[in-house]
Amino acid sequence: MLSIHARQVLAKAVLPILILLAVGLVLLGLVRRPAVDGVRLMATDFMAPAYHGLVWPQERVKVWLTDLRGATDLAKENARLRDENRALRHWYDVAVALAAENGRLKKSLHWIPETVPQYVTGRVTRDDGGPYSRAVLLDVGSGHDVRIGDVALDAAGLLGRVTEVGPHTVRVLMINDDASRIPVTLGSSHGDAIMAGDDTASPRLIFYPQDHHPVEGERVETRGQSTMPAGLPVGTVHYSAPNRPVVVPDADLDRLDIVRVFDYGDDDSQAPDAPGRVRVKKLPQNPLTGPLPFSWLPNLPDMPGRGGQ
Amino acid sequence: MVAENSTPHLHSAVEPKQTFRRALDMAARAAMPSLFIVFSAILLSAPFGIPGQAQLQFGIAMCTVWFWAYSRPRSMPALAVFLCGLVVEIFSFGPPGTVLLSLLVIYGVAHHWRYGLSRLGFIAGWLIFSVFAALASFFQWALVCLHAVALLSPAPGLFQAALTIGIYPSLTALFVWGRRTFANPDQA
Repeated sequence: MLSIHARQVLAKAVLPILILLAVGLVLLGLVRRPAVDGVRLMATDFMAPAYHGLVWPQERVKVWLTDLRGATDLAKENARLRDENRALRHWYDVAVALAAENGRLKKSLHWIPETVPQYVTGRVTRDDGGPYSRAVLLDVGSGHDVRIGDVALDAAGLLGRVTEVGPHTVRVLMINDDASRIPVTLGSSHGDAIMAGDDTASPRLIFYPQDHHPVEGERVETRGQSTMPAGLPVGTVHYSAPNRPVVVPDADLDRLDIVRVFDYGDDDSQAPDAPGRVRVKKLPQNPLTGPLPFSWLPNLPDMPGRGGQ
Repeated sequence: MVAENSTPHLHSAVEPKQTFRRALDMAARAAMPSLFIVFSAILLSAPFGIPGQAQLQFGIAMCTVWFWAYSRPRSMPALAVFLCGLVVEIFSFGPPGTVLLSLLVIYGVAHHWRYGLSRLGFIAGWLIFSVFAALASFFQWALVCLHAVALLSPAPGLFQAALTIGIYPSLTALFVWGRRTFANPDQA
């Protein structure tokens, strides 16, 4: 047994030791952040079923409330849906005609079909942002093949990119996070820009050409780069203040439920070797001294490099 | 008088017989503040979509440690604070270690000043707590900026500090009631 004095000394030393350990954790977080995030991801993996159980009552209540709201004004809702259905029917016909025309044009141009990306669909396990970041955790089940850098989309548009991968869970850094930088192309002005998150609902557009400012309301799509394919819908341009273009995202960043993670693979389109790298065969010093073997042809020089008269 | 000896009538010469069930009941009551932090941390990490969920996680842990550290330190030893802090760290995604360090510092302050804080009124105690809650939020913001190598907006940190300060009175009311009833080991 320890003496009373030793116990008093030990009791006084506990808090400083624990504070030192906490400082160590802070330093570890600054130096080796992925190690700490890996532990957090494992904990979330473990808790994923419990999260579903916790959220289930809330989801049921939401469904009931939606049903209740619909039931109170059925006639008006029906009329609205009929109008919307008519408009959608028109757009469906247009889409079918355009798809057929697109198919014909591609066929006549001998278009090489693009590879179909692999994807997994997952439910958002938890909002993982904290005060200073915007990220979500997805439960994608075991045996997935998601890699860091894969692209996450919801039903409407681009959501973000995968930053950490666990056995069942992946972490997606959303496009409005402060660390997110996505190369984008503007729809009508065809200018390139970088979409930079700033922890608000609408990421900013930066590094756009100064002679082609983004136009209010134009579409913003991804620009093909590395694992990010071209043409994914991102949102529309909006000027929140003069000279401050932002992107209003198509994806509903606040209420995420089902998210798909696409693996577009590495960018394996490598440029051919530059001409300078082609090994040039050295010609002999005096390749041809005598008359050319085809000098019987009219108006040909009899020696190379001398040119015709 | 220190608040932890607030039920002198129970310390009579005739003590209830120490059985296993009573010991378990006492341990459960003493662990109630720590369990409150752990359960609220896990609950608030679920995707409910409540605004300020992450900030609330921090706020509840801070208020609980502060109150119990000066009010009844036996229910909130330093090791329990450390373990609770680790749980909060695991179930949040802020800069690692900041919540844990803030909890330990606020525990040290409250524990060291517990006699003075018990004598002070509620408002004065709340003001002192507010200063430390704001300092902890500032520290967290500074570390995030250091990690990002950029000057980020301090608005989330200010919101976190305001929420922590704002929920303190209602949580104190709950804890004062709990200290007399369900979290009182003397009533086991």
